[in-house]
Amino acid sequence: MDQVQYHTRCKKGEVNKSVLLPGDIERADYIGTKFFRDSEKIVENREFHIYNGSYENKPVAVCSTGIGCMSAAVAIEELTNIGCKYFIRVGICGSLSPQINPGNIIIVTGAVRGDGASKEYVPIKYPAVADYRTITALRNRAKKEGVDYSLGIIRTHDAFYMESPFAFGDYKKRVAIWAEAGVLAIENESSTLFVIGSLRKVPVGSILVAAGNLITGKKGTKDELQKSIDKAITIAAGALVDLQEGKEKKI
Amino acid sequence: MKKMHHLQIEPGQIGEFVIMPGDPGRCHLIAEHFENPQLIAQSREYVTYTGKYKGLTVSVTSTGMGCPSAAIALEELIMSGAKYLVRLGTTGALQKNINLGDIIIPTSAVRLEGTSVEYVPIEFPAIADIDIVDALIRATQEKNQKSHIGIIMSHDAFYKGTVFADPDFLKREQVWIDSNILSVENESSALFTIGYLRKVKVGTILTVVANHLTREVITDGGKINPIFHRMTDICLEAFKNMEKE
Repeated sequence: MDQVQYHTRCKKGEVNKSVLLPGDIERADYIGTKFFRDSEKIVENREFHIYNGSYENKPVAVCSTGIGCMSAAVAIEELTNIGCKYFIRVGICGSLSPQINPGNIIIVTGAVRGDGASKEYVPIKYPAVADYRTITALRNRAKKEGVDYSLGIIRTHDAFYMESPFAFGDYKKRVAIWAEAGVLAIENESSTLFVIGSLRKVPVGSILVAAGNLITGKKGTKDELQKSIDKAITIAAGALVDLQEGKEKKI
Repeated sequence: MKKMHHLQIEPGQIGEFVIMPGDPGRCHLIAEHFENPQLIAQSREYVTYTGKYKGLTVSVTSTGMGCPSAAIALEELIMSGAKYLVRLGTTGALQKNINLGDIIIPTSAVRLEGTSVEYVPIEFPAIADIDIVDALIRATQEKNQKSHIGIIMSHDAFYKGTVFADPDFLKREQVWIDSNILSVENESSALFTIGYLRKVKVGTILTVVANHLTREVITDGGKINPIFHRMTDICLEAFKNMEKE
């Protein structure tokens, strides 16, 4: 498609094929300016900030998705339309596991589809599963960086103020069913990104940092979290490089 | 120690590594790959053998057809000490580029069956353990076999889920074909779901014996046994690779 995409305002060939997908606009700016070399901001429209740059001398890009599956779906659809091929969400989440403390990193294998957007694409029985090569690439890079991580299923949902420490009423009761099922954490974008990835045959992965623990109430300091987010970005950008080169096969 | 209600096995009688075919009639064929295989139990559709493979204690237990009996087998195997479990079975392809005899290694499964919904709400993903998936892919590559890796679907009503019995099947299930579902079978989604809940590693390896789009089907029974021998070889090597890590 040579036409300019409706929301992300870019067209074929303008965005590098390997894309990091943070939720936060400011995190996209941070990745684009602090982690990429020779970076160039190419789009700034609504919640979508897009940068091209290079990482380990390979072409990469970053695009913020905004909060939630609706805008995340718009981002990945339009980027896929213009030829982008590899996607890794890098973001924060609330831990549901007593073993996962603030600052700990999660590599996601699949997501509970608590969101509304993915249901418009395909019936709810369909699994929101991360691309297995991307999972492997993330695990390899985490190992290379000497970073411990948890691996497993998370929950994606839409209503932040129903399932967060800032929620009305007894949020712990609402999330108990997922904690009991061994769901590691809660966030707002991965399930739709995974489903669209499977439907459109583009690999999608997700790496998250626990900002707090919904069960124990533990919170991390800003500095601690930033250090972990930096690690997650380093792992994700490295994984994009390995996926481009086919190195993820070396498990 | 009390015997398991259905499987009639007890802890200590099986290995941590278990192969799970659907058909009890295939257990002896799979056990031929073990050193010194012992028949442990035979009850209802559940047949269990235990033996050795390159020093590893391995078992085979049939699940019977469908998620209700497969869930029972998995639960009782876990209670008896199983930690790494691979379903080994046949499947019908839903994509034109998948040929008879091809191997499918599912990463996850559509939950069209009734069993897993009793465990956890339907929005929970039925995902194969990534370490098992990796080990099966590597073992398949080492044997120079091609495999398709992706999402399959598991359902309950065999005679509604096949083009050979129900002419409306393709029309009704078009949404899944359009969603890149590789093939259809009857056990994996509940096994994956329960595996995650119980914190054990569960995966699946399948061989295509029919294609619902081209209507091709392997009718020659003599061709089925070699398919199971090949998958057993892959599965045992995958177990061996996992044990090393």
